[in-house]
Amino acid sequence: MDAAILNGLLALADPHLLMLIFVATLGGVLVGALPGLNATTGVALLLPFTITMEPIPAIAILTTIYCAATFAGAITAILINTPGTSASATTCLDGYPLAQRGEAGRALGMAAVSSTIGGIISVVCLMAAAPLMARAAYNFAPPEYFALTVFGLSMLATIGDGSPVKNILSGAFGVLVATVGIDLLTSIERFTFGMNELSEGIPFVPVMIGVFGISELLVQADNLHVERKQVIMKAIKLPSREDYSRVWKTILRSSGIGTFIGILPAEGATVASMIGYNEAKRWSKKPEEFGKGSLEGIAGSEAANNSATGGAMVPTLALGIPGSPTAAVILAGLMVHGLRPGPTMFTEQADFAFAIFWSMMLVNIIFFFIGLWGAKIFARVTLIPIQVLWPIVFIFSIVGAYALEQSMMDVWIAIGSGILGFFMRRHGFSVVPMAIGLILGGMLETRLGQSMVMLDEKWWLMLTRPLSLFFFVLTVLALFGPTIWGRFFKQRSPLKSTGE
Amino acid sequence: MQDAADTTDQPRRDISRYAVPLGIIAFCAWAYWLSTQFDRVPPILKRGMQPEDFPQLVIGLIIMLSVWLLFRDTSAAPERLTKMVQMTMGLLIGFLLVAEIDLFLGLGLFAGSLSALWGERRFWAVFLVGLITPIAVFFLFDGVFEVRFPRGLFTNLWYG
Repeated sequence: MDAAILNGLLALADPHLLMLIFVATLGGVLVGALPGLNATTGVALLLPFTITMEPIPAIAILTTIYCAATFAGAITAILINTPGTSASATTCLDGYPLAQRGEAGRALGMAAVSSTIGGIISVVCLMAAAPLMARAAYNFAPPEYFALTVFGLSMLATIGDGSPVKNILSGAFGVLVATVGIDLLTSIERFTFGMNELSEGIPFVPVMIGVFGISELLVQADNLHVERKQVIMKAIKLPSREDYSRVWKTILRSSGIGTFIGILPAEGATVASMIGYNEAKRWSKKPEEFGKGSLEGIAGSEAANNSATGGAMVPTLALGIPGSPTAAVILAGLMVHGLRPGPTMFTEQADFAFAIFWSMMLVNIIFFFIGLWGAKIFARVTLIPIQVLWPIVFIFSIVGAYALEQSMMDVWIAIGSGILGFFMRRHGFSVVPMAIGLILGGMLETRLGQSMVMLDEKWWLMLTRPLSLFFFVLTVLALFGPTIWGRFFKQRSPLKSTGE
Repeated sequence: MQDAADTTDQPRRDISRYAVPLGIIAFCAWAYWLSTQFDRVPPILKRGMQPEDFPQLVIGLIIMLSVWLLFRDTSAAPERLTKMVQMTMGLLIGFLLVAEIDLFLGLGLFAGSLSALWGERRFWAVFLVGLITPIAVFFLFDGVFEVRFPRGLFTNLWYG
């Protein structure tokens, strides 16, 4: 394992790769700062660009976009009171009041420092936890994997704007869509309507581009009247020693919270930032300052959302279960490149895995400097009119959807998914569970089929296996726990999830 | 006035509340029927499940959840689609039709029209998104990523 850690680091010594990571960091910050675009959309749109690359640079670019865009949401949150990504929604609460008081530089400095520390802590945890988790999962048999995947899907209940039932319904729909094509167990075609293009199933990438990119274009059609005004910012000012002494505990606590939330299947940076913010307020000696320009509020939110990125990659790489919506798109990218996330990744492709970890570490350092010295420039991109931005995004979306298989069918799938995603969002169904359901659907069915063969078609024997039973119990808790908890403790968080 | 608006909104809210779950159930019924048409493997070759078993399991779950929504969902109906969204969707359909003639002609027309529809009045901006960007993207993907685009009215000029 030590050799793999070193080899992974050496892989980054390639100047070409370093340049790519630097450019991708700039791109990620740009994506995070642009209105309507977020890490998930950015990764989905850029995935087709990486197809011709080798796996290490390709996946490093995607993870770089993920980390950098998550951070960049803070720039617009602080300067124009519009979170670039939903994970930065809580940063607005204190960042913008500080900016209005003429302390935008101090707020951005705190955001950059806490994001960088949170990100680095989570990558260290990722390096330690992912191989351990993979080792623990190495002896999983199909029933355990099936139960784990069911648990991963059950966690979808709590993400996004939709009600838990709508989220599960959306996830189940994604799983149903994943059954299109040739059944891997019996080689019989399903739902293909005689079309050869569908025999290999509905491709992930055009669907991702559709539900995250094109549906957002339709949403933006209703936001044409939104005016964005930038707060005037003096030079960026790093937090003072006094500031550090006030926030270091908050940063460490939020980094831990963010990493843990990220590791949970499907939960992402948005949930992490909300919990990080709430905990920062709960533990603060001056909770009355929250919402009026508290540095602890910014630190709590930003350290948590950036640490969730590393945490989210733990189950993604070690188990093949996405830790967040963006990680789901990265998982699709891994599959497109022929890589098999799971326990074997740390035995057969350990150099690759550690190269990705090191690249994430590097990104966290790069965006610290970009955050400090480039924020003023990047904040200006939010002023790009959406009348120019979104037609260009559409062109890239369509060409990206086409480029993977070079098939017009994929363009139709992207547009269809986009329109479907728009109507789903209108009626309160989050599109994230559908995308994750589509990715996990094939694995779910294959594991169930293998379990049925292994258990002689007696599915209930899965409940006699301790680990499977453990995951099923977790599934029940994930589905019904919040309701039961809510009945006992009738209190609600003042912050509502906005999804990632 | 407010009351009148509320009264006219009420039937729409009711329709929307029932229409979505009922629509999903109808879709599931169709998908279930389709799944009954799949070929089956002989019992001796069966490995765990028949091809229709898993889709039917998922369809059953979706129907169950939709029935729950039908009776328990109290969320408000979304507002009517604005004209801008409707016209943007119209442009998307127009793009799909023109893309059959030439993908990049469709992209250019769509991007330029969308920009203008959304209120862009500066000629250079419409020119940028409607002409320069599609051409730049074409050469980027053709040259750097070696993507072969479908032949069409304008792409033939390059492919010969």
